[in-house]
Amino acid sequence: MHFQAEESEVPMATTACFIIVSRNDIPIYETELGSAAKREDAAQLHQFVLHAALDVVQDLAWTTSAMFLKAIDRFNDLVVSVYVTAGHTRFMLLHDSRSDDGIKSFFQEVHELYIKTLLNPLYLPGSRITSSHFDTKVRGLGRKYL
Amino acid sequence: MVGTSKRLPAIQRLVEIKTVAEQLHFKISTLLLHGGKVGEAVTWFRQHNGSYRRLVGTPEAVFLHWEWMSRQFLVFGELLDKSSAAITNISSLALGTADKPLSEWESRPAYYYQLAAHYLKEKRACLELALSMSETGNEMDNGAESVVPSAYVGQFARLLEQGDEFAMQSLTDEEYIRFAVVEGKRFQDSYEIIALLKKSYESYSNLKVQRMGSFCGFQIGKEYYMAGEFNNAKQLFDDIASLYRREGWVTLLWEVLGYLRECARKYGTVKELIEYSLEMAALPVSSGTDTQMKYRENGPAGPASLARREEIHKDVFGLVIGESGLSSVERNDDLKITLDNPLHLEIDLVSPLRLVLLASVAFHEQKIKPSAPTLITLSLLSQLPLTVEIDQLEVQFNQSNCNFIIMNAQRPPLAATADDKQGHRVESSSSLTLSTNKWLRLTYDVKSDQSGKLECTSVIAKMGPHFTICCRAESPASMEDLPLFKFEDRVETSPTKDPALAFTGQKAIQIEEPDPQVDLNLGASGPALVGERFIVPVTVSSVGHAVYSGELKINLVDVRGGSLFSPRETEAYSLDSHHVELVGISVPEGKDETQLDTDEINKIQKSFGLFSVPFLKCGESWSCKLEIKWHRPKPVMLYVSLGYSPYSFESTAQKVNVHKSLQIEGKTAIVISHRFMLPFRQDPLLLSRIKAVADSDLPASLPRNETCILLVSAKNSAEVPLKLLGMTLQEDNEDTGRPCSVRHEGEDLLEPALLVPGEEFKKIFTVISEDDSSKLTIGTACVTWTRDSGSKAASVLTKQTLPDVNVESPPLVVSLDCPPYAILGDPFTYLVKIRNQTQLLQEVKFSLADAQSFVLSGSHNDTVFVLPKSEHILSYKLVPLASGVQQMPRFTVTAVRYSAGFQPSIAAYTIFIFPSKPHFKGAAVGTGG
Repeated sequence: MHFQAEESEVPMATTACFIIVSRNDIPIYETELGSAAKREDAAQLHQFVLHAALDVVQDLAWTTSAMFLKAIDRFNDLVVSVYVTAGHTRFMLLHDSRSDDGIKSFFQEVHELYIKTLLNPLYLPGSRITSSHFDTKVRGLGRKYL
Repeated sequence: MVGTSKRLPAIQRLVEIKTVAEQLHFKISTLLLHGGKVGEAVTWFRQHNGSYRRLVGTPEAVFLHWEWMSRQFLVFGELLDKSSAAITNISSLALGTADKPLSEWESRPAYYYQLAAHYLKEKRACLELALSMSETGNEMDNGAESVVPSAYVGQFARLLEQGDEFAMQSLTDEEYIRFAVVEGKRFQDSYEIIALLKKSYESYSNLKVQRMGSFCGFQIGKEYYMAGEFNNAKQLFDDIASLYRREGWVTLLWEVLGYLRECARKYGTVKELIEYSLEMAALPVSSGTDTQMKYRENGPAGPASLARREEIHKDVFGLVIGESGLSSVERNDDLKITLDNPLHLEIDLVSPLRLVLLASVAFHEQKIKPSAPTLITLSLLSQLPLTVEIDQLEVQFNQSNCNFIIMNAQRPPLAATADDKQGHRVESSSSLTLSTNKWLRLTYDVKSDQSGKLECTSVIAKMGPHFTICCRAESPASMEDLPLFKFEDRVETSPTKDPALAFTGQKAIQIEEPDPQVDLNLGASGPALVGERFIVPVTVSSVGHAVYSGELKINLVDVRGGSLFSPRETEAYSLDSHHVELVGISVPEGKDETQLDTDEINKIQKSFGLFSVPFLKCGESWSCKLEIKWHRPKPVMLYVSLGYSPYSFESTAQKVNVHKSLQIEGKTAIVISHRFMLPFRQDPLLLSRIKAVADSDLPASLPRNETCILLVSAKNSAEVPLKLLGMTLQEDNEDTGRPCSVRHEGEDLLEPALLVPGEEFKKIFTVISEDDSSKLTIGTACVTWTRDSGSKAASVLTKQTLPDVNVESPPLVVSLDCPPYAILGDPFTYLVKIRNQTQLLQEVKFSLADAQSFVLSGSHNDTVFVLPKSEHILSYKLVPLASGVQQMPRFTVTAVRYSAGFQPSIAAYTIFIFPSKPHFKGAAVGTGG
């Protein structure tokens, strides 16, 4: 059809924004994943969307015993997936439609990383994670699963 | 028309398709929602949205697509809004399918309004682009005016007027675009967007979904900002900023603050501009993300990076210090900090500017003596990206004479400060430079002459000639950390070098009272005696301080705690309920007239007294006497405290207190007891005695019309000798008349009787009951006494009410009659008289036992009848056989009617037998016969 060509003009955004929110609602780690060209305003918009999605998490987290809450919110073509740890730390991923399986694996691996960070006696729970090692690992996981 | 129809040009064809799809979708949605099938409607909408979203169209007509998208969301949102009134509980509906679950928000209209606004923004952006491209096409305006919707849905045509004829002419795509652009220009998209977002914002607020609401609010604020309505924008941004501050979303906060800062700049409010700028400069936006932030088209805040923070920091301090050359500031003349327009910032405990400057103040000690110096450590912390040089620090206390100023030695003293540092201590510090996240610690001496609490209230930092920041002082012990500055790799630093002080340091210190230099003496000796006005001399003697407006407070407190009267007895002693009471305060005569002014406080209550002390110069002394009266024996604590000010008469002057206490025992001085005695060898038969032998509580009984003897004795139970001045028996109720006569045996004391401790004083009264009443009130025994202390002390009256006695008529009275003594071998008569006082014949049995020392004549046993109102006399003759104190033969009388036996006491039988007739001299010879 005539429209077929037009559709392909829209770039397939592979953007994803990942944030860890502590139990006090303070973000302790944030990163942009994905390598494709990003739209203007994106990072800021992503954070706004993720922050707004905290409202939903708050309601939803207590209704289920599962840690992976799947896609809880969508904004336009962006979807928010959330993983809540036992300590009520929330991993929030903003992404475009994608398979749940990859996201779930991503979250589980990040959880393991996060626990390793927590085990560090010098890390004060609730403070910002600034370790470059953690950052590199998370980015690696992002490339692997997303 | 149908025949002439042909394929429309591409753009118009797409428009037609979408318009038709919109119509169909509208109808389907309406039907679904009307049937209450929200879930299905939402799924349907998602499908509709999914199929058309990508049909963007040619680049020049993209705005048409976004406008259409926006309309889809708006319409569906409105439909949902209307129907959701009927559906009460949306969340309970089973939404969505298993593979694509619906999020909760997809059933809320707010979600659709928000997205409608989002697409409308896209449309506006594209339209602006299209407008800029078609700037030259103005001449076509008149042509566009005649374009109207044609008969078919989604089609447009040009209306041609040819005389009265109307003809529709189809358009080319270029013509259509021009028409659409002109149409688009007519709409105020900004207001539309704001209206949509507001709807969404309100809806979220109603649902108490704060974060979603904040996102909408941020978008509204941005629109307002772009529309130039800074006031509205600022309000919204302020609300949102507080949420982000609380939750620590630094990137978002940075963004919002950027807008706020611009709003303040546009308004020309310097204070806010500086505040927002400082907050931004101090935000912990991580510097590591610089590279990835490059692509962003930022708001006015600029990229959240360390470089940008430094830039803002320099901007602010350039403005503050007054160095011009700021490109951004020069535009606006109002944005100057001058002498007429100085800037003063307040940072309190909840201010977001705590990041900028945090002042922690700790005293090294908790308690000091007045005028003793103590150390205070002042610690300042700033998170600003660059180092800050402070010109001058002023430390303020609640006692303003402790305030001091710290000057920066490296800076030339500021001219403007020369006048306001008068009277304050000025210290100088080699460096007042604040580096990022590094405590600046300064330790100085402080001393205060005033007792009480000394608290550091604030620290004022002066930077530049007209800029000050007043920072509320915080105690390190209770200081909260900066929530935004918790980093994994950040070393926790304490405000003071001494870690113990960092945990326990306080910004306040207690200054003790100066040591009193006045002696207070309570000179009471020995225990007090009940009833007397016990004197406690109080001496105030100055040994170092003069006494200004001195005040003596006197308190009497029960030693065992509790009050000085027992609640059980309050009714009986309602007037005199205090067992111990402060009766008076007396000042030695000769001095007091001039000193006791009328306006001076002079209050005395039962257990509390307040008394003014006159002005005393150093070395003088003054004394007074407290008079305390005990009503009951009771130990009491006497507290006397003297409050005075050592330097002046002013009421605000500092008071020094001296306390003294003394325990005083209250003791009973005189114990009064009494006894009734009947005439010797005469015993009436009292029936009440026979019946209740066991019960000893019964009041004493007296025979009627007989003379009885009352023996009242007063015993000194105190430890000091007392002088007894007199003893009387007072009648309680004079007016009713006394049913008996009481006579004093002997006269009143001519001179006081001295009673050593334990000694007893006795006095005899005779009582003759005359009346017929069965009760007899004896009266009150009153003993007047005084201490045998040499000086003339006031006499004390101790009273004791004697209990009532019963009076009854004895039916029989037995009396023995014999001489007072006998002589060996000389016979004498021993008479037993039994008097019957009743109207009845009394049968009386009697028996007499033999006695060793006597020979007797008369009957031993018999029963006699005593006639009414008469007397029967048994007569015996006795001859004593031994000398000395001898027992006469005992006899027993039994009244048969009352089954009462009677035996006189041993004393009644005892008689002294002289071996030969004694020879008495003088008057004694006469009585002896």
